[in-house]
Amino acid sequence: MTEIGSSRAWRKFLRHRPAVIASVVIAVYVAVALSVLLTGWITLEDTSARVGPANLPGFGLLPDPEQRMDNAEWLAERIESLCDRADPEEALAGFRDLGSRRLADLNVDEFRRRIDAIWDTWDRLAELDDVNEAARSPETGPEVREGLAELDRRCEALLQPVSETGSVWRTLELLLGTDRQGRSIFLRAVYSIRVAVMIGLVTGLLAVAIGTLAGLAAGYFGGITDGIITWLYSTFASIPGIVLLIVLAFMFSGGELDASLNRVTGGLLRTVLGGRLDETLIPVYISFAITFWIGPCRVIRGETMKIRELEYVQAAVVMGFGRMRLLLRHVLPNVSHLMLINFSLLFIAAVKSEVILSYLGLGVQNGPSWGLMISQSGQEVMKGFFWQIGSATGFMFVLVLAFNILTDALQDVFDPKHV
Amino acid sequence: MWTYLIRRLAWNVPVYLGILLFIMIVLRVRDPVFARLPKNATEQDKADIRAELGLDQPFVAQYRDLLRQVCTLSFDQESWSHPGQTVGQIMKRSIGPSLAITVPALVFTTVLSVTVALCSAWFRGRLPDRLLVLTSVLGMSISFLVYIILGQYFAAFRMREITGIDLFAISYDPEVSGVGGMEFVTTVWPRYYLLPVLTSVVVAMGYDTRFYRAVMVEESSRDYIITARAKGAPQWRIMFVHMLKNAMIPIITRVATTLPFLITGSFLLERYFGIPGMGNQLLLAVESLDFPVVQAFTAVFAALYIATILLTDILYALVDPRVRLS
Repeated sequence: MTEIGSSRAWRKFLRHRPAVIASVVIAVYVAVALSVLLTGWITLEDTSARVGPANLPGFGLLPDPEQRMDNAEWLAERIESLCDRADPEEALAGFRDLGSRRLADLNVDEFRRRIDAIWDTWDRLAELDDVNEAARSPETGPEVREGLAELDRRCEALLQPVSETGSVWRTLELLLGTDRQGRSIFLRAVYSIRVAVMIGLVTGLLAVAIGTLAGLAAGYFGGITDGIITWLYSTFASIPGIVLLIVLAFMFSGGELDASLNRVTGGLLRTVLGGRLDETLIPVYISFAITFWIGPCRVIRGETMKIRELEYVQAAVVMGFGRMRLLLRHVLPNVSHLMLINFSLLFIAAVKSEVILSYLGLGVQNGPSWGLMISQSGQEVMKGFFWQIGSATGFMFVLVLAFNILTDALQDVFDPKHV
Repeated sequence: MWTYLIRRLAWNVPVYLGILLFIMIVLRVRDPVFARLPKNATEQDKADIRAELGLDQPFVAQYRDLLRQVCTLSFDQESWSHPGQTVGQIMKRSIGPSLAITVPALVFTTVLSVTVALCSAWFRGRLPDRLLVLTSVLGMSISFLVYIILGQYFAAFRMREITGIDLFAISYDPEVSGVGGMEFVTTVWPRYYLLPVLTSVVVAMGYDTRFYRAVMVEESSRDYIITARAKGAPQWRIMFVHMLKNAMIPIITRVATTLPFLITGSFLLERYFGIPGMGNQLLLAVESLDFPVVQAFTAVFAALYIATILLTDILYALVDPRVRLS
């Protein structure tokens, strides 16, 4: 048993280099999450807006020729249909599916002329049986590639040239490509950091707080308190965790819970969230907390029962200190390392469970999350597009790996006897 | 031992009653009548459906009915979303597909990960051990869902495209549902179940290898190992005869605690591969607010869970004479 305040243990922890690196990585993730939460440099609208054609690869790589033609076709058709509207000027001004880019400041006739130029090139390329094949073959290759480049230039002529400041944001938007609906994968993956960190922090803190309170009370007071708390956690622990999680998440996902919480707190929730009651993750938090508090409770109850019998606690009792002081000053610090280890374990469990719940349609409902991104990428993978599954997995992998390393180090340092 | 057993059983009675109560209360957070109303329903329709589902009964009566079903093991209540079928029939039908994944997966995983853990402990601290530990930590940091998606893409889809070997099914063939017996094992199982089993083994290997390695490492520093070494016993004999035998206790415990999950099946695998097992059935029931099915399934899962924990304790005492149940 090593107290968390002990400097010897911390020195040992600081010598554990992977653990220190892992802590830095976690700090970066939390910082990004906080910056998104507080400054809103990525909004929910950014993550759900179309920024360009579907399934564009990342790092500025060119899609295969056939897809480049499809993309040009998409843009030309969209603008053409806008030009055919009753009020084309207004429709063109309202066109928003290009992310941070805008249409060039041209009149309708000029647009039509440039689109006709696109169709000229497009038709020439479409005469080929297989564009991909033609672009590779040595005879037709140069000509086809030149045609494709011309197509791209003509599409570019419909848009405003990228300004200095806008180009950075545009690079970010297309850094990791776009998903099936043409949304930015990078912005979605980064916004998901906020979602994951929130889920991990809130459920970890809630579960550890409930578990610690219950465990301390049960272990220290014994008797009826212990009986009731042991009964409670045995009850929850006897339902397989994933079953409990699924049942709870579905039952609370109807929106009744958020609404009633809002009612009880006198509209506090709505005020804090700015009228967006449907975007809370409260059902997820509550079902995770109810499922996860058992682990810390069991461990801390056992440890408290051991500590209660130690001489220094007995001495404090003899000295006549009150129960609260005993619990808070003498027992709590000595179980704090277990709180930390359990928090770290629950963070991982929460982030990973979010993926499973989101796949089953019970997790995050609005806005992006790694779980939703991975679930949606199933069909893209069948077409050989790996940018979405790769980005979401990569971002999640680094965070979970850092927490795995941190948990191991914490266990080594503070709880060496644990297997 | 008998007094211990009886005391434990007695303690589990209130726990079990608590589970049934809890699941009934949680389910009633949402109103199942609402989802079953026809268009332009009147108050009368509402009341009729409520009565038809038996929800007009007082809560205590509903609780008593569930308790009766559990105690007599006759799940004869009709499912709400599958009219004409009792909960028992649904359970019987779905248990086979679940076991067809979970049993082979558990066997493969345990044998493989104990072997790998032994190898890892053999090379303790050296390169192979470090590589194995690193691989398992890396593997644990990737989501289950990613393994499933990529596994299906590469093992089933790409393999057929590149090599032309059509080993794993990609779409469902309705003819397979009636196949049973030996034919099931030789034709249907490899085609429809082997890939989910392999995926599950790969995912579980990371966790299990880590745990078993920790057990072996812990065991290898004990006195009897030092004695054996001092006697001049060869390394392989120490590993496979002395150590493995003593490491059996934690191994048995871990395997025993996963036994209830054989029945619950894997929700994710069953959902993704469209296998009509217990997990998939429970998910469907939860989504359609089919209370009888959810209640009965949870009751059975919880009973099995409690039973295995008890069994583990007894097994523990049988394997290790130092453990006394009191």
